Amino acid sequence: MENTAILNDLNEIFKEVLDDDDIQLNNTTTANDIEDWDSLAHIQLIVAIEKKFGIRFNSMEVAGFKKIGDIISTIQTKL
Amino acid sequence: MQNNILKDSIINTIINYIQEKSPRHAKKLRQRLGALDDDFFTRSEAFFSTYQNILKVDNKTLEYGTDNYLQMVNDYVFEQVRFMQSGVYSCTSFEDAYEQVYSKPEVMEYYMSGLIMSQFLWKHHYDMFRFFTDNLSAQSGNVQRYLEVGGGHGIHLLEAIRMLGNNVHYDLIDISESSIQLAKKFLNGQPVHYHLQDIYAYNVAEKYDFITMGEVLEHVEQPVKLLEKLHAMLHDSGRLFITVPGNAPAIDHIYLFHNQQHIIETAANAGFEVTKDLLLYSEDVSEQEAIEKKVPFLYGAFLKKK
Repeated sequence: MENTAILNDLNEIFKEVLDDDDIQLNNTTTANDIEDWDSLAHIQLIVAIEKKFGIRFNSMEVAGFKKIGDIISTIQTKL
Repeated sequence: MQNNILKDSIINTIINYIQEKSPRHAKKLRQRLGALDDDFFTRSEAFFSTYQNILKVDNKTLEYGTDNYLQMVNDYVFEQVRFMQSGVYSCTSFEDAYEQVYSKPEVMEYYMSGLIMSQFLWKHHYDMFRFFTDNLSAQSGNVQRYLEVGGGHGIHLLEAIRMLGNNVHYDLIDISESSIQLAKKFLNGQPVHYHLQDIYAYNVAEKYDFITMGEVLEHVEQPVKLLEKLHAMLHDSGRLFITVPGNAPAIDHIYLFHNQQHIIETAANAGFEVTKDLLLYSEDVSEQEAIEKKVPFLYGAFLKKK
């Protein structure tokens, strides 16, 4: 799956989970860029991402997600 | 910094270090801790200073403790994700917890260290500690004999000694040798009798006036049985203080308490009733959101015999 396609899917997930239609993700977006991307939201986001792509992350992968690009590259290894 | 966290404090140094490793978590800590009062900062500085000195003996630093803490937080996040999906804890028996945590020194090392740090990095842990200290005198009555079950870093017992005085007999029992050693370091010089023993094998001729058991019930398969044991060791006029997390998946949590009522009923089944209690959540959310999102909670209660 293309980077852009995954990014678009993630963008939709973030909009829905964080209830914010203005979110525009890119590869370098971090929690510092999105006010509502806090620790509780992070858990909801991971659950939603796993469901959307039909994958399971391991604990090291989840711990390593610092920016959107990290999530995209990990998803790509599982598709 | 947006708040009360003093620039030259140890806790600020810790949070700045966390900022480098996990900005998302640092953001949460600043939001949660920033509004706390001077008492928090006085107590946290004393606590972290003590822990710093304990670590120094082993040529370790608070950065080491903070790395351990972050590893523990990563475990919690992952366990929370799986809990959201399955509705159950990953460990459901003591055997599971032993295999995955207690039998692995490398896991125990970071987990215990992380838990120590969480006493003052997690607002709900501090708020529960304050609930204990604010109510201990009024709730305890005339205490001659005091028991702590599973003492951890010993901070509750230290506070009890400070408030109840040196004429009380203090016992601490724990099944883990490393926990006992840790408590001895934090309680250095205090008049405490330590018992490395399974609580079920612990029999004393004289009953206790006050028993404290913090965050133990979720680690056992039969919480009612454990509470019944404490019931048998407590004077009829005595008090028991417990804290119990629920919806709180951790690598060694076995027993899932779904809500506050679940814990109250468990205590009632062992012959206890609540005299004063407090429910806290691990995130700044409304009660409705906490229930919907299964946000971990911490319930604390002073109990008396029914």
